[in-house]
Amino acid sequence: MNINGIELNKIRENLWEIPQSNGMRVPGRIYISREMLESTLSEDEALKQVMNVAHLPGIELYSLAMPDIHWGYGFPIGGVAATNLDEGVISPGGVGYDINCGVRLAVTSLTHEEIQSKLETLITKLFQNIPTGVGASGAIKKLSKADLKEILEKGSVWAVENDLGTQSDIQFTEESGTLKNADFSVVSERALERGADQAGTLGSGNHFLEVDIVEEIYDAKVAEVFGLFLGQVVIQIHTGSRGLGYQVCDDYLKVLLKASEKYGFKLPDKQLACAPIKSQEGQDYLAAMQAAANFAWNNRQVIMHLAKKSFLETFNMKESDLGFRLVYDVCHNIAKIEKHRIGNEIKAVCVHRKGATRAFPPGSELIPEKYKSVGQPVLIPGDMGRYSYVAVGTEKAMEETFGSSCHGAGRNLSRHKAMKEAKGRDLVSELKKKGIIIQAKGYKTIAEEMPAAYKDVADVVDVMHKEGITRKVAKLKPVGVIKG
Amino acid sequence: MSSKHTYLSHTADIAFDVEADSIEELFIEAFSGWLNSVVESTDLKAESVVEINLSADSLEQLLVDFLNEVNFLLTVKKILCIDIENLIIDKEKLTLKAIMKTQKLNENIILKEEIKSVTYHQMEIKNQHGKYFVRVVFDI
Repeated sequence: MNINGIELNKIRENLWEIPQSNGMRVPGRIYISREMLESTLSEDEALKQVMNVAHLPGIELYSLAMPDIHWGYGFPIGGVAATNLDEGVISPGGVGYDINCGVRLAVTSLTHEEIQSKLETLITKLFQNIPTGVGASGAIKKLSKADLKEILEKGSVWAVENDLGTQSDIQFTEESGTLKNADFSVVSERALERGADQAGTLGSGNHFLEVDIVEEIYDAKVAEVFGLFLGQVVIQIHTGSRGLGYQVCDDYLKVLLKASEKYGFKLPDKQLACAPIKSQEGQDYLAAMQAAANFAWNNRQVIMHLAKKSFLETFNMKESDLGFRLVYDVCHNIAKIEKHRIGNEIKAVCVHRKGATRAFPPGSELIPEKYKSVGQPVLIPGDMGRYSYVAVGTEKAMEETFGSSCHGAGRNLSRHKAMKEAKGRDLVSELKKKGIIIQAKGYKTIAEEMPAAYKDVADVVDVMHKEGITRKVAKLKPVGVIKG
Repeated sequence: MSSKHTYLSHTADIAFDVEADSIEELFIEAFSGWLNSVVESTDLKAESVVEINLSADSLEQLLVDFLNEVNFLLTVKKILCIDIENLIIDKEKLTLKAIMKTQKLNENIILKEEIKSVTYHQMEIKNQHGKYFVRVVFDI
């Protein structure tokens, strides 16, 4: 098949390969259905970006893309690539500006019926307690430099030490909420300044906090292990490292643009600027990126604490009655050193996931004890009018995708087109008729983020399910949303 | 003078092509593209000025740094740059000096998007037949 001038060979029903050519060190592989391939990738540059990523020195096996692939910068959104630690590189283009943007899912013991009468009050309370929008700030006290140092080195452990979470929250966060090699000293003053008053803030764009109901369960055994039941009230939080992470990425792009020149790398896109992982430039970026990732975990932890407080205030409940518990927190913009099978060898590689979620299988040493029998929860938010999914990681993900899966629906319409579609409509009332209460800083965000602006996340999740990379566990239906 | 910026259909981010008669006009037009992307309000009033001084390794980097600087002033210092009073670019030394007209953010200024950063994706300043061109992509 030829899409946008790029030849693709069908490997399986939902797996397509771009053969190695002109400077590509490995082939490209995209997990996607024929229909999605033809309908969503014919007009943008995402496939070209899969080919560009294949130029990275030290890339192993394939330049991969998940079914929510769309046009990004450097890597496509939905791109995954592993580079070896000997001559391989690390690239901020494979992580993005919003370092450790991710999702967390927390459950309550409440049911849909129990919250119905106070739903609007709950959403208002959440909107009041959690700052949203452009440059949102002031969720908690302005952080001193000493606080920031601790957050950057400890991640969400800082929040727990400051009564903004529990030990259990740490246990159910990817990497226990802390990447250990983070280094405060390689993060710029400007990055610290951008982060100083943004801990516990959602930001704008596609970031959100959603109150959902467990609408459907596909795998009862796994759902039980995750603590999910039909009709249950749960929350999803989607945000990242805010201005601090954006600045770290920006600072290191400059460093790595110079490094690319210094090491003689010929790259098809400046945004793929990179340095050997072993080099000083590569190590400094890795340490700064880890610090920003820790800031993001702390950010989601603080937001979750504020959300729990909002529930307790709204329903006038004791914490022990609310049954609030973090199911899992996953990052989907990150580069991490992990061990994977490359041919006959198990090797340490640097896995870049840019809009892709880790999806480790049962038995993995890196997932919480409670989930070892079933695998890691994989959280895949959809749009605010339809549904989101909880899936679970598999051994096949380890065999084929460096333990990775999709991260969301992926946009279908540009923001401009979405605004045009929304013209003359009252989206707030439309959503209310569907039983969804929304509060946002401005109507523009609601219009840009309208359900029709996104692909149907069910199509994305089904590709991964059919290919055995992740298996569906439960479907969540939104009833309340706050956005920037 | 025939400077303009034209927004492209980009599913995830904001992208626009800029065309101008001089390098200074190219930067001014790219700044307009930034301003139109971040702010909805039109009744902006200059209250003060801020001077920006930058040096870089390339003209592209200078443009990225310039737009990131006005974005930093907005998101962190809560100062909106609404116009450029004076702009001097040294193409040889790769330096920029800009005097920006500014307004402090207030409840009447409606912001649209949070731009995370200006990317280097597809950024190349071209000079063809006396005209300058560049593509700017913002991560939002």
